[in-house]
Amino acid sequence: MAEPIIQLSRLTKSYGHARGIVEVDLEISPGEVFGYLGPNGAGKSTTIRTMLDLLRPTSGSARLFGLDSHRESLAIRRRIGYVPGELSLYESLSGWDLVHYFGGLRGGVDDRRVRELADRLDCDLSRETQALSHGNRQKLALLQALMSDPEILVLDEPTNGLDPLTQQAFQSLIADSRRSGTTVFLSSHVMSEVERLCDRVAVIREGRLIALERVDALKARAVRRLEIRFAAPVPEAAFSRLPGVTDLVVDGPVLRCATTGSLDPLMKAANRFEIRDILASEPSLEEIVLAVYANGGTEGTLNHAA
Amino acid sequence: MLPSVFGKVVHDQWRATLAWSVGASVLAAFYLALYPSLGGLAEMQTMLDAMPPELRAFFAGEGFDLATPAGYLNIELFSFVLPLVVAGYGVAVGSAAIAGEEERGTLDLLLANPVPRWRVVIEKSIAMLVGIVVLVGAIWIGLALTSVAMDIDLDLGLVASGLTSGALLGMVIGALALALGSITGRRTLSLAVAMVVLVVTYVINAMSALVEGLEAWRPISPVYHYVGYDPLNNGIDPAHASVLVAMTLVGIAVAVLAFERRDVRG
Repeated sequence: MAEPIIQLSRLTKSYGHARGIVEVDLEISPGEVFGYLGPNGAGKSTTIRTMLDLLRPTSGSARLFGLDSHRESLAIRRRIGYVPGELSLYESLSGWDLVHYFGGLRGGVDDRRVRELADRLDCDLSRETQALSHGNRQKLALLQALMSDPEILVLDEPTNGLDPLTQQAFQSLIADSRRSGTTVFLSSHVMSEVERLCDRVAVIREGRLIALERVDALKARAVRRLEIRFAAPVPEAAFSRLPGVTDLVVDGPVLRCATTGSLDPLMKAANRFEIRDILASEPSLEEIVLAVYANGGTEGTLNHAA
Repeated sequence: MLPSVFGKVVHDQWRATLAWSVGASVLAAFYLALYPSLGGLAEMQTMLDAMPPELRAFFAGEGFDLATPAGYLNIELFSFVLPLVVAGYGVAVGSAAIAGEEERGTLDLLLANPVPRWRVVIEKSIAMLVGIVVLVGAIWIGLALTSVAMDIDLDLGLVASGLTSGALLGMVIGALALALGSITGRRTLSLAVAMVVLVVTYVINAMSALVEGLEAWRPISPVYHYVGYDPLNNGIDPAHASVLVAMTLVGIAVAVLAFERRDVRG
């Protein structure tokens, strides 16, 4: 694994009364698209706002590009694009005004790049932001985050409340950024979005990380339901005691079971007979994560494999 | 048009500043225009003299000499109305600078840009100074035009002195509102507390000659350093003006330190 571009070490933020985050450890590699999943109030925005130096850690640290989130915040913010979770824009400014204001603070912005993004997002920059719909405001927020071609894109629930078409436009732009090597930190409570876009996902609940895994590994860990139809009845003994196979029921030519991990042993066993059809139901990430939640999110579920 | 935080404030504030300036300028011109037609100035002087000293001190300050236009303006404009106008403007701008933006939720996006927090405070303070200078400049123009048009004997240089002193008072109270907003992130609170401080220090200054024990407190009152030495007749006093400048700088410094240290409310 390359030097992490984002490194949270025992990052803790306590508020007086409200829950913050507790000892969050994360390492994200350059170019990774990282999903940060959790219900509202779990601590997603707290983590993100600490990375941007809007909040100061109670203990632990957040390092981006190897720089301290507080002491070297300015150098970090030069290389980062941000879409806040609770978006407020300057109401009396037009899109162009906003772009030029923030562009000015970033030492200039390329109008051609802005126009190109506006076209991609179908974003009207001439209107005052107070006249824009929620979706168009979010578009403007994403546009200002992308316009400086940041090395890290930090998106706090960017597609929340968007119509499916706009969500797609967002997701395709995020996918583009990934292709150009941008690291993306995407918080979401929409599993399907994380599943589609992200390489790895962390699940946070009540301020603590309860799962951290590759999306494909998480899916592999999931229980798959399988049904194999053979040309003729098969003996149950041929399939019993296979690794990763449970709930085995053989009913004449039809085998039903649940599998976890590699399908290879089961497939090799089935291959000795004539197969007519295989039906597999793959659980959504949502189901998997819900299963993690159901297990209470103990330390044992934490898997630091990257 | 919007290259900087300063430019952004100018963009946001110029209409309001223009409205304040035109209003204050017309008000000042109106007061001055009444002067020649006030035939009974002697009677007003008699009335003032007859007032209980507490009331007189409160409303007219000490320089209640109505025989000259400057004495008249001291009572009608500089002792009461001008402090309210400049401090009111300063408080409105100062409380909006950090706390207002924080309450509207736009600070998150602004501070995601590579701009240091101290710089946001400083640029907004400079914008406040520019606004107050425009405001008292407009008042000066209103008074100057009226005095020329109506041939009123008024030393416009001394008027500028008095207004400069007023501008410094506005900066002190505005910087106080800015500091309170930077500490608490709450706009209405910082606005209200700063105005209360203005009123309390006004009373300290006005009543100190009459109430035993208050005299010792007078030097902490910015109102005293603004008007206590009658800048409209004596010109601006560097020592008093320096105190106001120092108070302003302390307010801005506190605002920077407080804002640099704390969390931005989400």
